[in-house]
Amino acid sequence: MTKITDYDGPVLEIDKLSISFFTRLREIPAVMDFSVAVQPGEAVGLVGESGCGKSTVALGVMQDLGVNGRIVGGSIKFKGRDMSEMTQEELRDIRGNEIAMIYQEPMASLNPAMKIGKQLMEVPMIHEGVSKEEAHARALEVVTDVKLPDPKRMLDSYPHQLSGGQQQRIVIALALMTKPSLLILDEPTTALDVTVEAAVVELVKDLGKKYGTSMLFISHNLGLVLETCDRLCVMYSGEAVERGSIEDVFDDMRHPYTQALFRSIPLPGADKNARPLVAIPGNFPLPHERPDGCNFGPRCNYYMEGRCDQGYIPMDEVEGNERHVSRCLRMTEIDWDAPPEVAAKAEKPAVGEVVLKMDHLKKYYEVAANALFGGGEKRVVKANETLSFEARESETLAIVGESGCGKSTFAKVLMGLETATDGKIMMGDEEIQDVAIQDRSTETISSVQMVFQNPFDTLNPSMTVGRQIIRALEVFGVGESDADRRQRMLKLLDLVKLPRAFADRMPRQLSGGQKQRVGIARAFAGDARIVVADEPVSALDVSVQAAVTDLLMEIQRENKTTLLFISHDLSIVRYLSDRVMVMYLGHVVELGTTDQVFAPPYHPYTEALLSAVPIADTSVEKEHIVLEGDIPSAMNPPPGCPFQTRCRWKDKVAGGLCEQKVPPVRTLEDKHQIKCHLSEEVLASMTPVIKIAAE
Amino acid sequence: MEPLTWTGNLSFLNLPLQTAAILFFILALLQILAGFVPQRGSTIYHDSTVAGGPGLHGWSARLTLWSFYLVLLICAAFLVLGMLMGTSGGIIGAVSRQFVPVWVALAITFFLSLRYRRRLGLYGKLFDSTIGMVGFGLVMFWVFTAIFAGVFDMIYTHAPLEQASGMKNKLPGTPMNGAEAEDFQWYLFGGDNLARDVFSRMVVGSVTVILIAPLATIFAFMVGITLGLPAGYYGGRLDTVLSFSANLILAFPVILLFYLLVTPEIRESGLPNYMAVVLFVFPLIFLGVLINSRFHTQPQKNTLFLVLALGIGGWLYLTLVSDQSSVIRLLPSSLDFFNIPGGILVVFVSVVFVNSPTVFRIVRGLAMDIKTRDYVAAAQTRGEGPWYIMLWEILPNARGPLIVDFCLRIGYTTILLGTLGFFGLGLPPESPDWGTTINDGRKLLSIFPHPALAPALALLSLVLGLNLLADGLREESLKD
Repeated sequence: MTKITDYDGPVLEIDKLSISFFTRLREIPAVMDFSVAVQPGEAVGLVGESGCGKSTVALGVMQDLGVNGRIVGGSIKFKGRDMSEMTQEELRDIRGNEIAMIYQEPMASLNPAMKIGKQLMEVPMIHEGVSKEEAHARALEVVTDVKLPDPKRMLDSYPHQLSGGQQQRIVIALALMTKPSLLILDEPTTALDVTVEAAVVELVKDLGKKYGTSMLFISHNLGLVLETCDRLCVMYSGEAVERGSIEDVFDDMRHPYTQALFRSIPLPGADKNARPLVAIPGNFPLPHERPDGCNFGPRCNYYMEGRCDQGYIPMDEVEGNERHVSRCLRMTEIDWDAPPEVAAKAEKPAVGEVVLKMDHLKKYYEVAANALFGGGEKRVVKANETLSFEARESETLAIVGESGCGKSTFAKVLMGLETATDGKIMMGDEEIQDVAIQDRSTETISSVQMVFQNPFDTLNPSMTVGRQIIRALEVFGVGESDADRRQRMLKLLDLVKLPRAFADRMPRQLSGGQKQRVGIARAFAGDARIVVADEPVSALDVSVQAAVTDLLMEIQRENKTTLLFISHDLSIVRYLSDRVMVMYLGHVVELGTTDQVFAPPYHPYTEALLSAVPIADTSVEKEHIVLEGDIPSAMNPPPGCPFQTRCRWKDKVAGGLCEQKVPPVRTLEDKHQIKCHLSEEVLASMTPVIKIAAE
Repeated sequence: MEPLTWTGNLSFLNLPLQTAAILFFILALLQILAGFVPQRGSTIYHDSTVAGGPGLHGWSARLTLWSFYLVLLICAAFLVLGMLMGTSGGIIGAVSRQFVPVWVALAITFFLSLRYRRRLGLYGKLFDSTIGMVGFGLVMFWVFTAIFAGVFDMIYTHAPLEQASGMKNKLPGTPMNGAEAEDFQWYLFGGDNLARDVFSRMVVGSVTVILIAPLATIFAFMVGITLGLPAGYYGGRLDTVLSFSANLILAFPVILLFYLLVTPEIRESGLPNYMAVVLFVFPLIFLGVLINSRFHTQPQKNTLFLVLALGIGGWLYLTLVSDQSSVIRLLPSSLDFFNIPGGILVVFVSVVFVNSPTVFRIVRGLAMDIKTRDYVAAAQTRGEGPWYIMLWEILPNARGPLIVDFCLRIGYTTILLGTLGFFGLGLPPESPDWGTTINDGRKLLSIFPHPALAPALALLSLVLGLNLLADGLREESLKD
C-alpha cells in the first residue's frame, strides 16, 4: 500500500464545504461555506468556541460523520484528489496512513487492554504489511522521538500505567507511526496541565518540522494557536469568519468577532487598567436559530440594520495582506485601531482588615496499603504542607497550581469538609481548623462559600433554579417567611444579571455561563464574607469567561468580599487578583502581590508556569522553559525540595542541598515569600519571562 | 342451552384471520430469503451516501408489515364485534362483553394521556414509544381488571369458589349445569377439576397479584433506598457490613427460605411477624427523615408535617404488624382495625426480604456515583445534613434507573408470587391466585390443558407488559 506521491499542491484543500446533521425534526447545518487550504509542512489553526463546528470539519476530512451527518456541498481534496470520490477501501488506506488524528482525551484513543508496544506495532503492520521485527524497531524509534523516558519499558506497559501527559505522547507516537502527510489535532492538550501542555506543544512543533507533516490544529485557545501555527482560521457558528497568516489575523484583524474574541481574553503582558476585558454581549446562537445575514450580527458592535441582517455575506480579500480574507461587509468602513469603549471603571475599595488567617496549616491523609483489611503499612499523603497566609477584606487572593498541588484539599479544609491535621485557620477571631462543617454555626458556614468549577455539575438537575437558591437562604436562616425568601431570591437573580423568569427554570434549560451565575448567586445567598472560587470560568467559553469574571469582581466590590480565586490560568489571575499564591505538591512555593509574582525574582516553578502559559499576543516574547517529566505523585514525593526533580536552577545550589532539605520560607522585600534554596544573587540575576517587544 | 363455540356468529371472520395469518408467515419467510438477494440499481453520491429503491427485500418487508397490521385489525374486529354481540359472538364475544368496563377505562386513559402527553413529564413521554404504549396497555388491562373485579365485583361470571355439579373438567363454553335464571349460563373457559369456573378464577386471581406485587415492590424499594443511600454515601465500614449482609441474603436459596418461613413451627415462633416489624418500619423511617431533613430549618412546618405523617404512618404500621392471634400484640384489639391474613403476610414479608438486597445494591451504586458531583459538594458546603443530601440531592437524580427497575421488579415479584402459589406456600390452597391455579391445573395437563392455560397466559401477559413498559420508559428517559 503506497502513499500518494508526486504532488506539489496543497496537502488538504477544503472548498466551500457544508456539512449538515439530520435529525427527526430538521436539518441542522453544522458547517457552512467553509474553505481552507493546508500547504505541505504548514500548520493551520482552527479556532472557535464550542459548537462552532471546528470538530465537525475534522470529522468531515476523515469522512467519518456518523449516520446523521452528511456533506451537503463543496469538496474536500486530499493531495488533489476529491475524497468523496474515493471508495471505502481507498479511504481506509488514507485514514491513519496519510491522515492521522489526535483527540482530546488520550485514554479514549488507547485500547486499555493492549500493551502500548502492540498498539504501536499494529499500525505499520496493517498499513504497510511490514514484519513484526521491523514494526517493533519502528515503534521503539517513534517512542524515542516523542521523548518518553525508558522507551523499552514504555512499549511493555499498559496505557493506565502512564500519566496523562505520557499517554498523549503515545497517542502522538501512534499518529506518527506511518509518517502521515497530514495530522489533525483536535484540542490535543485541553485535558493536560499547563506545564505538561507546554511540553507536548513543543514536541508537536518539533516533530512537525522533523517529519515535514502538515497540521490542522483545532483549539479554542488563541495563545496555543499562536505558538504552534503558521496560519489561522477563525470560526463562528459554523462559518469561517476570518482566515490569514498568524501575524495578519493577530495584529491586523478584520472581523468584529475576532476583535471581540481578543478583547475578551486577558493578556498577562498588558495592563489591566489600560486594557480591560470586554465581554461579548449575548449568547452563541443555536444552529437552527441562526439569524439572517451575518451570524455574528446580533452580538456585534458594528451592526448595521438593513445591511448586516440580509442575504449571504461572502469572504472578501483584505487589501494589502496576502491570503487574508474576512467575512464582513463593513470591513473597509470600520476603524480597526480604535480603542474599545469602556464604561467608567469603578474604583476598587481599599483592602481592609484581615478576615482569614492560615497558620502552618497541614493536612495529611493516611492511606492504608491494604484497603480490604485495613492492616499493613500505612502511607501518608501530605496534601498540604505548612500553609501560612492572610487574606483581607475585599482582597482577591489567587491560588495557582496544577492538578495535585493541594488547592482542592485546602479548599476542603477551609470549608470544613475535612479537618486540619495541624496548624490554625483563624476566621475573624474564631479558630475553625478543627471544626467540621456539621459543628459550625450557621453564621460561620454562610460566611465561607464556594463557587464550583464545572457549570454542568454545580446545580442539582432535578430542582428549579429558584428552589435551589431559596434552599440556601433557608439553610442560612435568611428571611422571615417563604414570600420574603422568594423576594430575596429574585433580588439575587438580579444581582447576577439573570432575568427573574429563570427562577422557575430547570438547570438543563440554562447555558453554561448562566448556570455559573446561578452558582454565584447561591454562594452569595448568605452574604458570604469569603468566597472560594474553584476555577469558576475555566470550563466556560472564552466569550462568556470575561462576563462571568467581571460579574464576580463587581459583586466583590459591592459586598467587600474576600475572594480566594483558585486557578491554573495565569492570564486571568494577573487580571483580577491582588495577591498570588503559587502551590506545588502541597507546598506554597511563592506568595506575594501580583506584581511581585509576575516579575523576577521568581521561584523556579513560577518561572516555568509563566513560560508555559500560551499568550495570544504577537508582541509578547517569552522565554521558553520546558519542564522535564510530570508532576510527582503526592503519595511518593521526592525528598528535599518538592520541585527539585524538574527544576532547571538546581545546579546553582551547592552541595545538592535541594535533594536533602525542604527549603525554608524566605521573605524578600515587601513580604514577598519564596520557598527556595537559591541564593540572593542567583534570584537577582533572573530575567523576566514575558517581555513586551518595543513597538 | 347450547355449548358456546369459540367464535359463534363471528365465525365469518375466521377465514380472513387464517388467511391473513398464513400470508403474514409466508411473507415473513420471504423477507428473510429476500435478504440474501443482492440489491442492484442503487446510486452512490459523492458524499458516499447510497440511495436506491427499496428492492426486493424492502418490498417484502413492507408487505410483511402490512399483513401483520391486517392480522391485528381482524383481531381487533373480533373484540369490538364480540363486545357488541355478547354471547352470540361465541366465547370470544362473551369474554369481550364481560371486559366492557376494562375497555372503557382503557380507552379513557389512553385518550386523556395522548391528549395531554406534552404536559405529563416522563409519563407523557411514554406515549411516544410504541413498545411503551403496548406495555402500558397490557399492564393497565390487568390493573383495571383487578379494580373492577376486586372493588366492584364486576367482570367475573361466577364466585371463584362456587362449584357446580357436573362441571368438573368441562371444556370452555360448556353451559352451566343447573344454572338458575339469574346465573351466567356458561363456564366461559370451562371448569377445573373441582368444577369451578376457570374464567372467574383467572379474573379474581388478578386481584391478589395486582395488590401484592406493586405494594411489596414499594416496600422493597423503601428498604433498599433507606439502607443503600447511607451505604453509598458514607462508604467505609457501614458499606462493608451492609453489602456483606445483602450478599448473604442474595446467596440464600430463595425457595428454601420460603419453605422455612411457612413451616408451622417457624410461623408459630412468630419469625415472619418479627420480620414484618423490622421491614415495615423502613417506610416510616424513610418518610420521617424525608420530611425532617427538608423542613428542619422551619420548625413549625416541620413539626406539623412530622406529626401528620408519623401519626398516620405509625398507626398504620402498628395495625399492620400487630395481630391479636400472633406473638406481636402492640395495639389493644379495640384500636387494631384490620389484620393481614397470616398467609399473605408471609408472602409479603418474604417477597420484600428477597427483593430489597438487589434494590440496595442498585441504590448504593447510584449514590456512590452521584455523591462525587459538585452539587453534592455545594450542599455539603452550605451545611446540609447528610440525610438531606441523600434524599433530596442524590435520590431525585437517581430516579431514572430506579423507575425502570421498579417496573421490571414488579414483573419479577409477579413471577415470584406465581412461584409461591405454585408451591402452595403461604396462600390458602383454594386461593384463586394464578400460581395456585396453575399448580391445580398442572396435574391433568395432558388431558385437560384449559384450567392451567388461562392463568398461565394471564401471568405471561402481565409480566410481558411490565417488561415492555420498563423498556419504553428506559428508551424515553434516555432521550431526555
